[in-house]
Amino acid sequence: MRESEGMEELVRMEHIYKSYGRVQALRDVNLTVRRGEIVGLLGDNGAGKSTLIKVLSGAVPSTSGDIYIRGRKVQMKSTTDAIANGIETIYQDSALVTQLSISRNLFLGREPIKGPRFLGRMDMEEMDRVARDLLKKVGITKNIPPSTPIGSLSGGERQAVAIARAMHFDSDLIILDEPTNNLGVAETQGVLRFVRGARDSGHSCIFIAHNIHHVFQVVDRIVVMRMGTVVADNIDPKSSSVEEVERVITGMEHDAA
Amino acid sequence: MENRTVLQQMISRPEFGPFVLLIAEILVFWAINPAFLSPGNISNTLAFTVELGLIALAMTLLMTSGEFDLSVGSVFGFAPVVMWTLFNSGTTSLEVGFLAALLIAAGIGLFNGVFVTRLKIPSFLVTLGMLLVVRGSALFITSGFPQRTWNAGDQWLAEVLVGDFMVGPFRLYMSLFWFILAAVLLHYLLTRTKAGNWIQAAGGNPNAAMARGVNVVRTKLGLFMLSSMLAAFAGVISSIRTSAANPNSGTGYELEVIAMVVIGGTALAGGRGTIIGTVLGIFILRVMRNGIVLIGVPGLAYNIFIGAIILGMMALHSWLERRHNAGV
Repeated sequence: MRESEGMEELVRMEHIYKSYGRVQALRDVNLTVRRGEIVGLLGDNGAGKSTLIKVLSGAVPSTSGDIYIRGRKVQMKSTTDAIANGIETIYQDSALVTQLSISRNLFLGREPIKGPRFLGRMDMEEMDRVARDLLKKVGITKNIPPSTPIGSLSGGERQAVAIARAMHFDSDLIILDEPTNNLGVAETQGVLRFVRGARDSGHSCIFIAHNIHHVFQVVDRIVVMRMGTVVADNIDPKSSSVEEVERVITGMEHDAA
Repeated sequence: MENRTVLQQMISRPEFGPFVLLIAEILVFWAINPAFLSPGNISNTLAFTVELGLIALAMTLLMTSGEFDLSVGSVFGFAPVVMWTLFNSGTTSLEVGFLAALLIAAGIGLFNGVFVTRLKIPSFLVTLGMLLVVRGSALFITSGFPQRTWNAGDQWLAEVLVGDFMVGPFRLYMSLFWFILAAVLLHYLLTRTKAGNWIQAAGGNPNAAMARGVNVVRTKLGLFMLSSMLAAFAGVISSIRTSAANPNSGTGYELEVIAMVVIGGTALAGGRGTIIGTVLGIFILRVMRNGIVLIGVPGLAYNIFIGAIILGMMALHSWLERRHNAGV
């Protein structure tokens, strides 16, 4: 029995199918994420991980199937719908505007207004103050002024800003798509720390990565996809080895048995 | 990063290069021909500069949002033609004609914006098509002849728009006041407000902006309308000052305006824009045009200098951008 099984269910995807023309990308996928757990989503290229995440984040519609959030059935027609439902997806760069500063990115679309509303004047002091707090909270120890443009941050720092934003606006579920790709060792450790920080403050995460070792370091439960469907959804990283999971990913587990 | 000197911070600003260039231009022209800084010459240069400048201010915001508008020059010619045709034919008063011209311009901008945002056609193609439609309409309405405007003298509207007055030895036009007002308002809008944040985000990363709930389509529609309306406003001002509403006026302004904006440091691809830089860019090009004649360079050689300035400033901005991205 795993400790997370008694926890409250946050997201449930039921019987999700997705086809692109004749290509069946997802076949009858079921996935549940509970509150406060980090789920590692693994699978080889083309296994359907990215498609599943795109369906959950509203980037592409599913062909059929239902999505429930906190037990309520929802329609995900766009990424805006997903964010409104508390699901935030963090892709490597794409969620931030590189030309804008950290604080302007954090509050993009939800800028606090100071003074008469019709003037639309942003409360920059408040934005900078919150930005400084958040950067500290996700574990950026380096002193980075909130007015720094995203373009001059490192890959890991950008991930941190995106995670901080998701935390501040109370996203219940943060989806990290390959957050450690192209990052150095220290930066990767940083991102893994941000993910743990997010979980410790009550957020759930889906963590997708090619590097199984990174997944093992941070997740509570591993879900494996192969050929468009979920082949294992309750692997405990504490009682399994990397080799065992690799066999599940490649479909060799029967040979081993 | 925080222990950089004030001087270093100033130099790394995109407006610094244009500022130095403008000062250098003025000093060189003044040294060769002191008449360059005579009250008469300054007044003359200012009068036309601010008319083109009004268009460049709006274009700065539009380009920051990742789009541009090639139809501004033809709207500059078309709007006064509409206004004066309505007025001269006795159809409407001058005030109503003026409002009609601005409304039609807003409609042109809206049309541009809808084609770009809804039909996803690049703004280059949409506004190129619109340039021809609007210019053609101006020529067709007037059969190619300029419209009379000399009976504007006793109209209060004409006084408010371009009335002139003397400040010491300088003859200033009301249009200078409108230009300053527009520059201050748009600078505030771009740098301090939520709308400004949305404009920059729309140009920098439209998908990320939309995902955050930024209404990119409405932001761009508004800017296309602003661009057309300020071009119409500038055209009307120019027609009253020069006492002619020529259906051909404004030809080629779109490129000069875009040059002013990029010289000032606004990114052609969008995401980053500066009104201060554009104001400098406006003066760099207009001072060059004026000064070159005063120091005796043949007017036909003007474009060589303009082209050289554009290339030089682009090289500078690209270098600054690379330094900036490297986190220097």
